[in-house]
Amino acid sequence: MGPLIPNGIIPEEWNSIIAILIGIFFGFVLESSGFSSSRKLAGVFYGYDFAVLKVFFTAALVAMIGIFYMDYLGYVDMTQLYVHPTYLWGAIIGGVIMGLGFVAGGFCPGTSLCAVAIGKIDAIVYVIGIMIGVFIFSELFDFFQPLYEGYFYGNITLMDTFGVDPYWFVFIFSLIAILAFVFSDFIRKKTKKIFY
Amino acid sequence: MVNRKFAKVSRFRYFALACLLILISGGLVLLPKYQKHEGIKSEELLSNVISPERYISTDQVASIIINQDPSYLLIDVRDEESYNKYSLPNAVNIPLKNLLDENSEAYLNQDEYDVVLFSNDNFTADQAWILCNRLDYKNLRVLEGGINNWFNTIINPAKPTENMAAMDFELYSTRKAASMFFGVVYPEQVKKQQVVVKKVAPKKVVVPVKKKKKMPAEGGC
Repeated sequence: MGPLIPNGIIPEEWNSIIAILIGIFFGFVLESSGFSSSRKLAGVFYGYDFAVLKVFFTAALVAMIGIFYMDYLGYVDMTQLYVHPTYLWGAIIGGVIMGLGFVAGGFCPGTSLCAVAIGKIDAIVYVIGIMIGVFIFSELFDFFQPLYEGYFYGNITLMDTFGVDPYWFVFIFSLIAILAFVFSDFIRKKTKKIFY
Repeated sequence: MVNRKFAKVSRFRYFALACLLILISGGLVLLPKYQKHEGIKSEELLSNVISPERYISTDQVASIIINQDPSYLLIDVRDEESYNKYSLPNAVNIPLKNLLDENSEAYLNQDEYDVVLFSNDNFTADQAWILCNRLDYKNLRVLEGGINNWFNTIINPAKPTENMAAMDFELYSTRKAASMFFGVVYPEQVKKQQVVVKKVAPKKVVVPVKKKKKMPAEGGC
């Protein structure tokens, strides 16, 4: 909980309670917007529903623009924020596996749990599959370790990699997002409508 | 009627949202830029500046040098000329104007050593300390009084007068011992040596004294 708990505005004990409340709310929003349906999620790959792309792209954009404004106004110190470290090949290979699982099973890990909560059998199978994957990974960790911990690039961001002014990057990124939305709408109109 | 109007407007809702997104992200580009503070906040810097915690006394530094404490790094922030004339033993010279060079960052911005900055008095060292402290460098100390104070306390300690406390005398003797370590020779030291020489010089004449042998008991009852 960002600046509130470390600064003692909210006591430490509330940490997990707030996390549970946010989790419940997040799950509720996911389910009520149809994200527990594997057909909707897989729609991105088949071109009949781009809700996933739109939602996650917009969420990233809103968060990014909001953080930059807050940083500009001095409410948030962006240098203090956590940047996830980059393990290049681990991320690429993991991303490919995750993408394959996504298109084959029709869920991402978060939405699969959401779908389990509403009792979908395919989601239950999917979660069991995740557990088996976790088990295999942990058993063969010694084998995967060089990939898992190698190709470390530190806590880099796209702005560092491209060396662009961050504000211009945000602007260009939002233009790309809007173009992607328009383009995805264009594709959706071309493909056959599927009711689900 | 209302519904139809609403439908007319809502046809453009995605277009409007896209425009809004472009507007606010474009606003970010157009906002007037200002120089951001690198390092710590100004309030924090001020409170650090006011606090005298950064000072380290000459006695402490002397004991660090004598005990060869490896966790301290002495940095002379005076110019090279003065450094070559005199500096503390094992000190590194980083003149104030070269303080923010790339080469000197390795000395200043690290967690392994405690850095002691010093100059002739503590003003130049304080300036260096403020610059480094603002960049959030850790473990920085300043030698209180600088080299002048070093001379007045360690190299040439003032002799306590008779009416001063016993503690002053103890302090004086430790400082004196420290100064001897740094190569100061005291007159009494020299005298003592002379005395030693004199003592050795005169040969003792050993006069064997013969003990009278006890006479064996004669006669008797």
